[in-house]
This record gives sequence, C-alpha cells and structure tokens, in this order.
Amino acid sequence: MADIQLKSLTKRWGAFVGLKPMDLHIGDGEFLVLLGPSGCGKTTTMRMIAGLEDASGGDILIGGKRVNDLEPKDRDIAMVFQSYGLYPTMTVYENIRFPLKVRGIPEAEHHDRVMRAARTVELTEFLDRKPAALSGGQRQRVALARAIVRKPKVFLMDEPLSNLDAKLRVSTRAQIKNLHHELRTTTIYVTHDQIEAMTLADRVVVMSRGEVQQVGTPLEIYDRPANTFVAGFIGSPAMNLMQGTLKGGVFEAEHVRIPGLAGPDGPVTLGFRAEDASIAATGEIAAPIYAMELLGDA
Amino acid sequence: MSTRLADRRPPAMQAILIGFLALWLVIAAFPFLWTLWGSFKVEGDFFSKADWANALRGPLTRAETGGAFTGAGYHGAWIQESFWRAAINTLIVVVSVVTISLTFGTLGGYALSRSPYRYAFWLLIVALVFRAMPPIALISGYLLPFYQWNLWGHLPTAIIVLVAINQPFTLWMLTSFFRNIPKDLDESAMVDGCSRFQAFRHVIIPVMWPGVITTGLFSFLLAYNDFAVTAMLLDKENQTMIPKIAFFLGTTQTKGNVMFAVAAVVSATAPLFLLVVFFQRQIVSGLTAGAVKG
Amino acid sequence: MKHRTFFWFILPSATAMLLFIALPIVSVLIQSVHAPHQQVIREVENCNVFGCTTTTVVDQEATRLLREAAPMGRFVGTGIYTDRNHLAISEVGALWTKSEGMGDFFGQLLNLPFYGALAFTLTYTALVTPLAILLGFAVALAVNAIPRLFRGPAIFVSLLPMIVTPLVGALILFWMVDARGILGAAIQSLVGDPTLSIKASTPLMWAMLIVYGIWSTSPFAFVVYYAGLQTVPQDTLESAMIDGATRWQRIRHVIFPHLLPLTTFMALIKIMDNFRVFEPIVSFNAGAHAQSLSYFIYSDLGGETRLLSSAAATSVLTILGVVILLSPVLVRTWRSFGKETA
Repeated sequence: MADIQLKSLTKRWGAFVGLKPMDLHIGDGEFLVLLGPSGCGKTTTMRMIAGLEDASGGDILIGGKRVNDLEPKDRDIAMVFQSYGLYPTMTVYENIRFPLKVRGIPEAEHHDRVMRAARTVELTEFLDRKPAALSGGQRQRVALARAIVRKPKVFLMDEPLSNLDAKLRVSTRAQIKNLHHELRTTTIYVTHDQIEAMTLADRVVVMSRGEVQQVGTPLEIYDRPANTFVAGFIGSPAMNLMQGTLKGGVFEAEHVRIPGLAGPDGPVTLGFRAEDASIAATGEIAAPIYAMELLGDA
Repeated sequence: MSTRLADRRPPAMQAILIGFLALWLVIAAFPFLWTLWGSFKVEGDFFSKADWANALRGPLTRAETGGAFTGAGYHGAWIQESFWRAAINTLIVVVSVVTISLTFGTLGGYALSRSPYRYAFWLLIVALVFRAMPPIALISGYLLPFYQWNLWGHLPTAIIVLVAINQPFTLWMLTSFFRNIPKDLDESAMVDGCSRFQAFRHVIIPVMWPGVITTGLFSFLLAYNDFAVTAMLLDKENQTMIPKIAFFLGTTQTKGNVMFAVAAVVSATAPLFLLVVFFQRQIVSGLTAGAVKG
Repeated sequence: MKHRTFFWFILPSATAMLLFIALPIVSVLIQSVHAPHQQVIREVENCNVFGCTTTTVVDQEATRLLREAAPMGRFVGTGIYTDRNHLAISEVGALWTKSEGMGDFFGQLLNLPFYGALAFTLTYTALVTPLAILLGFAVALAVNAIPRLFRGPAIFVSLLPMIVTPLVGALILFWMVDARGILGAAIQSLVGDPTLSIKASTPLMWAMLIVYGIWSTSPFAFVVYYAGLQTVPQDTLESAMIDGATRWQRIRHVIFPHLLPLTTFMALIKIMDNFRVFEPIVSFNAGAHAQSLSYFIYSDLGGETRLLSSAAATSVLTILGVVILLSPVLVRTWRSFGKETA
C-alpha cells in the first residue's frame, strides 16, 4: 500500500512533447482514472510510473520513495495490459504463478496464492488451459489474477477493457470495481472511455495533448468542467456549447437570450447539458428543431 | 473452397496458363533430373560426342562398367578425391555459422525491435548498406591482414567472416519478426519481476522459434551456397564442398574428373532438396515477409 | 529499452559487422592507394682485369626490411585507379581523340578490362532484372490458376532454381549447353551448325549467362507475386465487377496497383543482387568472354601473383556502384521507416 506522487513529470521525444510538466498526488488506496483521447499522454504517464518509459524530467515517488531510476521489477507494481500480455507458452496456472516464481517467493506459498487469485476472478476451471484456448474475457481475468497474485503496492491498468465486447465490458468493469473495493490497492487506470472513468474512479484526471485539463471527482468534472475541452469531452451526449456575449448578467447569441447569469461582461462560451433543457412553446432559446432522437432516460 | 466468380477465367486463358506452367516446371526441374540421371553414367555417355541420346541409353556405360548405371563418379569424388572431407568441413562451417548468426542476430534483432531511439534506425540503415556489399569486394580487404596475422586458411576464420556477412540480413529479418511479438509480453514480464534479459529468456525465447527457424534457413542457405568467402579464405585441406567442386573443374584434363564434379554437384544439391521439402512453407513466408510488408 | 541494455544486446552483432564489414571496407580503401614495394636494386661494381663494370642486383635484405617497415606498400595515391586496368584515364582520353564516331569509341572502350566488366555487369543487371520479374509474374499467375491441391508441388519445383547453390546451378546448365550436352546438341541441330560452341562465342556466352540469371532469379519474383496475389482485396475486385469493369479493367485497376509496391521492392533488391553477379562466370568458365566486376576482383585475387592493390581499387569502385544503385532503396526505407517511428 502506498501513495504516488508525480512532481513536474515530463516526457519529450526530441522536439515533440509527450507530457507537459505534471503534478499529481494519488492517495493511498485511491482509484485514479487517466482519461483522454488517444495521444493525450495518459498511457505515457502510466508507462513512466511503471518504469517502462524513462521520464525526461521530474520525479515519481511511490510510497514516498523516488523510483525514477528503478527497474520496473523493483517498483513493486503490477500492470494489466491492453492486450493482456499473457505468456502464450504457459498455462493459465503458470501465467498467474510467474510473478511469484521470478521474484523468488518460496515455492510452498505458490499454490495457495495462485488458487486464491484464480478464485477471486473465477478462473479455477481453466487453470490447465493455454491462453490461446480462452475467450477474451477469460484472458482478461488471467491478466487480473496475475496482477493480484502478488499484492503489489500499485495496480496499473492500461485500457484493460478495450478489447472486450460491450456486454462483457460492463460485467468486467463491475468486477474491477469490486476487486478494488476488497483489496484497497492504489490503482491507476487509463482509458478513453468516459463511462469507465465515471463508474470506476474516485478521481478522474482529464488529459489532452500532453496536458492535464482537470482533476476532480466524476461529479465535479461532469457538473463543473474546467474548460471547453472537458465540457465537450465528458458526457454523452456532450455538453452543448454556444458562443455569445454576456452583458449585465444576460447571455445573448443568435435566437438565444438567457438572463440571470453571473460573470464579467464580454464574449463567453455558454454550456448546458441536454437534460437541463426541454422543448417548450416559448423559452430562452428560439430556434427550429433540427432532429429528435430517443436516448432513454439519460 | 469454391472459386469466386471474380476469380474465374475464360477456358482459353486457363489452358494457356496451364500450358505455360507445365513448360516452366520442366525448365525449372529438368536440369536437376537430367544431371541426377547423368551422374550415374560415364563421361562418354553424359557428354557424348556422337549422340546426345547416349546419355539415356548409356552404351559406353554398359561397355565400360557392365551395368546400365555406375557409381564411379561418386566413388571417385567421395573416396578418391576425399569429397567427404569437404562435406565434413561444410557441415562444420554451416552448423557454426547458423548457430552463431542466430545467437548474435536474436540478441541484436530483439534490441533493435524494442529500442525507440533514432540510433536503432540508423543501425538498420547501415546494415542495409552492408547487406548490399559484394562479399568478394570485402574479401580483398581481408586477405592482407589475414596473411599478416596468420589467420588465413582456417575454418574458424571463414566461419566468423560468414557470420559477419550474414548479420545484416539476419538482423533485418529478426527485427521485423520481433516487432510482431507484442511488446506487452516482455513488458508484462518486466513488471512481474524480470530484468530485460530475464524477460528475453523467459517469455521471448519460448515464442520466437518460428521466426528463428525461418531466419536460420536463410542463414543456412547463405553459408552453404557461399563460394567467394570459402574459396578465397580456406586453404586446400580445409576446403568446403562448393570450392572443392570448382577445384574439380580446374582439373578436368584427366578423364573422368568431370564425372567426379557431376557426382559432387548432385551430392551437394541433395541437402538443399531436402531443405525445400521440409521447410517450403517457411522459405516462402521468409521470402515474402519483407516484400509484402514493405 | 535503456541505452545500456541495448548496447549489451547489440554488442556481438555490431562487433562482427564492424570487424568484418566496416573495417575491410577501410582496409580496401587503404590498399587501393598503395602499391607493393618494388625490389630494392643496388648497383654493384665488379672490377676484374678487364676493368670495372657496374651490374644491378636485387638487395634481398633491404627489400625485406622495406616490406617489414611498411607492409601496406608504398603510397601511390590514385595511381591504381587511373591505370589501364581500372579507369584508364589516359587510354580513354586517347581513344576519345582518335576514334571515329561514338560506335567506334565504345567498341574500343569495352576492350579496356574495367569498362568491359562494367558493361557486362550493367547489361546483365539491366536485362535479368526485368525479364526475371516478368517471368516470375507469369508463373505466379499460372500457379494461381491451378487447383489448390497442385500448388504445393508447383511451388516446390519452382523454388529449386533459386535455392540451388549459384555455382552448382550454373554448372548444371553449363554442362547441358556444352557442345556434347543435351541442350548444346539441340541448339546445334536447331541452327544446323554441328560445330557451334557456346564456349567459343562471346555473344552466346553473354546470352547463356543472362538465361542462367533469369532462370535463377525468377523464382524469387514468382514467390513474391504469388503471395501478393493471395492478398488482392477481394471486396474491391467484386465491387469492380458490380460496377461493370471488364476482366482486363479489373486487372488494370485493382490487381496491378496492388502489386506495384511489390514490384518496386523486388526490382531494387534484385538490381542490387544482380550487380554482384559472380559465380555463374566461374561455372561457365566464361572469364575470357564476359567478366563482371566481382569476377574481375576474383581473378585479381586468385591469380599466381595476388594483385591485392588492383583488386582493392576495383572493389572500391564496385562498392561505389552499389551505393549508387542502393540510394533509391535507402531513400525509400528512410521514408517508410521514418514514418513508423515518428
């Protein structure tokens, strides 16, 4: 168990900046989600924490100890990869046992620990199979079991659900949530799927173009996005954004006039969620209806 | 699998293609069959001044040896001219070259496939330039230093030179092969507690064999088929098969020596036949790997 | 991968290439500007009753000392490059002023050994590469047209000319076209000249070497094209049919564009390989009629007096030729690879 601290962590490849200086404190036992579109630096951040990528600047502290110069194996972390990274020549049992074996944990403990991990993710019937003989969801669970078998300080998960179909994704998501609830291990979870972020996270870090846009609880980033990027990225459908001017507490744009808003006068962008608007005969927005879609009780 | 409509050809065209294919197959295979057949005749029949058909009927073979076929060429080459010694040398050279090339190549290829840095790319470009160097041009650079340091003539010298000449190709092939092994695999292992080398040993080596076998086949061919290096760098006692065959040609004045060469040629081709029989799929996939991807 | 780990992994391979490819290139360069020491000549005065005469003798001791002191030989600059056996600058200059017309000039030029070798090498490369690619393409089409069951054996047979040792493959053909061999006899009866000998004729020798080149190179083209044909996008082919394209239009607009990148790749690789043509000339014993650059080096190295400096100069010129031929490949790799890593 440990907290993680990033102190102006940066990544550059030549002239290209992969991650602008990032400061973040991840509390012990917290479930933190790095969320953003592809190429936003979220995976790079995680890989630097894992030690799979060198940091170009800044410090990474796990449990108060600087780990920048440690090999991945010495950082006491476990990671679930997007394509799971299962060892194709080993059985499920051997896959789960591998971290114990290479770390020289006494042989006598292996069987118990492997079985306990396998039970946690409901894999006990498949222990003799090779990864190739498993379904996507089962492989995913092997990867999870391999991560938890060794009680690491930190879990890192790199889009672990992206290769699963929609239905399985929901159930596995719940399983991960439950796992975290039981083990209370500090977890960093990378995803581009905001539903995963919203359902799993204690806190979400929204990133774009190598820069942190906002850090907050799921509700905070949903209700009070820090900027238009977060507003447009979070929520389905995304927040409606309108350009206009604010003058004396009244927002004005073409066909739109909304009074009763606070803020300095000048050009502004106004955002509102779909559920906050309804169709009415008269109202603050006077515009023809373009199309109507049924989205359920969103 | 049923042919799709889009694949169907008019019958006339189909006939032309099949006729052409038959012709090509004859052109490709006949020289080998003919030489195999002829290697069991005497020189007067296989190289008949009177009538080429003598090679088929073999009147002189019958007259000289009493049978329709004779193993005299093989006996002469293998026993009298000690071709067996050349065969053993070839075996030593080829096995060593393949083993060392693959050891060096897997380590280097793995590193090149996993390094994100620019210098890895530069190294591959340099290797590509090296791959295009005519071996004989390099050999003129070896001779003087090798004489000077007394390295000339020995099998290990030829082996290490062949390994080096082999490296550029081996590196390219294995690098592109290792790139297809997901990075997740060794990175998992490193997070699970391995050093880079342990990750290579525990999880990469068990899955790399298909690529290594394919690359190994081409290393084998390069070492086995080489003439320039082995002919110029080995002395007579250490000669391998291919220079030995060339040597037979140099001494064709004596009657029968040509048949030694014919027998030796057939003997040297036989292992290659077996290679294609067993590894056809790997050879084809190896040849196309670069092309289809590039 | 960390720099240090990378270094240890690449070390064996890089060392081998450095020692036996990079350094020899340097060594060749150095040798090509040095010539062997001449023997040290000493004048000795012999006096007898008839008076004194001076004779010259070889000073063995001084020669040995000189050779030991500078084993590379004496520095001659570009002397070897410009001599008659290489670029033959003065001979070419003389030819240029004396010759009557371009035809005569080139005819004479080819008698100079280096230009003769260059001419054959380029002719061989220029003819074998496209013809082998065409033949390989035709074979690929044909193999693609037969039932799946027969394709394996057809591929097996088609691979043989490529897989066989070049020296051996060339020998096999050479024996067949020998005046006493089956093909030689066939050709003699075809043209009705029982004395016709391929060995004696320069054009026939060139033709035979090129035939061998095509025979041994086309399997590679075949394999690549055959693999290419398996991956032709069926959807595009079928939508072209639905759009009303004729058979030829489908080939022209779907299959050819699909195979084009393969063709460039192959052409570049094969140009490089054909430029190094060597073994068939040894097998055909064709040195008198056709020399390639590689063979030219080989014969300098293999003779009674090993002409190391001359071979080195030709090697340097050949390497230059390879680099020129290679430049398109380098640019291409540069682009495609550069994109990948960026």
